[in-house]
Amino acid sequence: MINEATNLVAEALPQVQGYVYPNEANFHPVWSCLIVIYPYITGLVAGAFIMASLVRVFNVKALAPVYRLSMLTALAFLLCATLPLLCHLGHPERCYEIMMTPHLTSPMAIFGFVYAWYLMAVLLLELWFDFRQDFVKWSKTTPGLQGLIYRLLTLGVTDVSEKSVRLDMKMEWILSIVGIPSAFLLHGYVGFIFGSIKANPWWGNVLMPIMFILSAIVSGIALCVFNYIVLTWLRRKTVDMRCLDTMAMFLFYALVVDAVIEGLDVLHRGYAAEEGFAVLQTMIREKLFYTLNVGQVGVGTLLPLVLLGLLQLFRTRVPEATRRVMIFLSGAMILLGVLMMRWNVVMGGQFFSKSFRGVMSYKMEFSGQEGWLLGAVILCLPPIILTVLVKLFLSESDQLRPCEHPQPHVSKA
Amino acid sequence: MFPFKLPPQILRLVLVALAIVGSYFVARSFLTPPTFGQYGWYRGDALQLIASREPVFAGKQSCDECHSDIIHKLEKDAHKTLSCEGCHGVSREHGNNPNILPVKSTGNYCIRCHEANLARPAWLKQIVVKDHYGPKCIECHVPHQPTKTP
Repeated sequence: MINEATNLVAEALPQVQGYVYPNEANFHPVWSCLIVIYPYITGLVAGAFIMASLVRVFNVKALAPVYRLSMLTALAFLLCATLPLLCHLGHPERCYEIMMTPHLTSPMAIFGFVYAWYLMAVLLLELWFDFRQDFVKWSKTTPGLQGLIYRLLTLGVTDVSEKSVRLDMKMEWILSIVGIPSAFLLHGYVGFIFGSIKANPWWGNVLMPIMFILSAIVSGIALCVFNYIVLTWLRRKTVDMRCLDTMAMFLFYALVVDAVIEGLDVLHRGYAAEEGFAVLQTMIREKLFYTLNVGQVGVGTLLPLVLLGLLQLFRTRVPEATRRVMIFLSGAMILLGVLMMRWNVVMGGQFFSKSFRGVMSYKMEFSGQEGWLLGAVILCLPPIILTVLVKLFLSESDQLRPCEHPQPHVSKA
Repeated sequence: MFPFKLPPQILRLVLVALAIVGSYFVARSFLTPPTFGQYGWYRGDALQLIASREPVFAGKQSCDECHSDIIHKLEKDAHKTLSCEGCHGVSREHGNNPNILPVKSTGNYCIRCHEANLARPAWLKQIVVKDHYGPKCIECHVPHQPTKTP
């Protein structure tokens, strides 16, 4: 063991430049590509939920066709949100211990509470109230295993009287109201984990939770746009252009705010030019050049801003098919850009020495516990789960049907 | 008996929630290790478990029993603080039975310390391997007496 460790130092040296402490010259950073995927998936969950709450809380009727799809997207991704962390653990089989002996003062252990609250108290409950009426209906008409699943999901409550449905709507509305701060909490928490590391100038920043939340909203809406277009294409349905244009509008607004806040962060760091700024410049100009300047800023922000901005200005003059392609491309580019943003945050903070006078490199492994193959598998899981959920809970006729539940009046609720 | 009656779906959710919380506490009573929290936020038994692991290093004193001539040379020169097993590999089994050879380390031992690195102190002799002569350090240097030539 000692021999292995000392040999690693000798072999890892060519991967470092400048003044790097010996304990920083490792083969790969402590937080590898799996920790890049973790905030990415969590952000998609929070964003997809906020997208859905536009319908419930802010009563944006045009988005009703994607309400259920957004909620199911959030659920599919939330079910996989802990997987990267689990695979990153040295002893994944001990993961239950965090729940058996929950720690109340460790910021990392708090994710257990945040996750459990968001999954159990917000997302599953809201989905259950939204689908309850349908569960009862489907449980009576569907035979076999699928019917059994629906019957189990009704929890034995078959009351779909008007009074009962009104109560469901009221509960959904309350849960959406609770859900918005919860979604902010879920992803703000991830930003907090990075932002609270004071010794690291790339991370230690009060704007970090806000940037995480905004990029989460952007990526979540982009994911819903992507999923909606792919689903309608797979089902050979026509896209509801009013819905898609409204999504594109919200995506544009969210992207503008996100880009402005992230730009402000860079400007602020540049003007303040604190002691670690020189090494941050090396990060921006050299180490993260392609993922930051090309990926995050160029492909993930500027190009979608131009495409979506043009659509806001000349929507009526652009034919529907072109609009669809432009919005789809913007969504896909934003999804890629936000993944790059997570990479830049997680890896950027580990590419420079704590001395601020040297830099390290990271070559991703292909296989193994921290390899990119595992990362790719984890990223593929949520779409697979979503496919099953869509198959079970989003029948073809539902897809383009506006949400049946009217918005309860706030005064009566 | 009750002043109000819970709607059926809420009542069912309350029951499900109670069942989840209840099963959590049951699971917790079974799965929390008995010695957890004995000394701190960890399993008390873990200390014993770690202490019971077999040591793999023999230590310089053990080497001195048979190789005192080499140790004698080593202690008079610049490498006096180095441990034998740092270069020759873990040797506890070799100490007990000389027929079992030490687990040989791989890689180049010299450049572990002597490859140029700004983080190393300036008094430590450092070279850039690719600019330095020779594939084998021991052609020109004696590891046990680094100030001598072979």
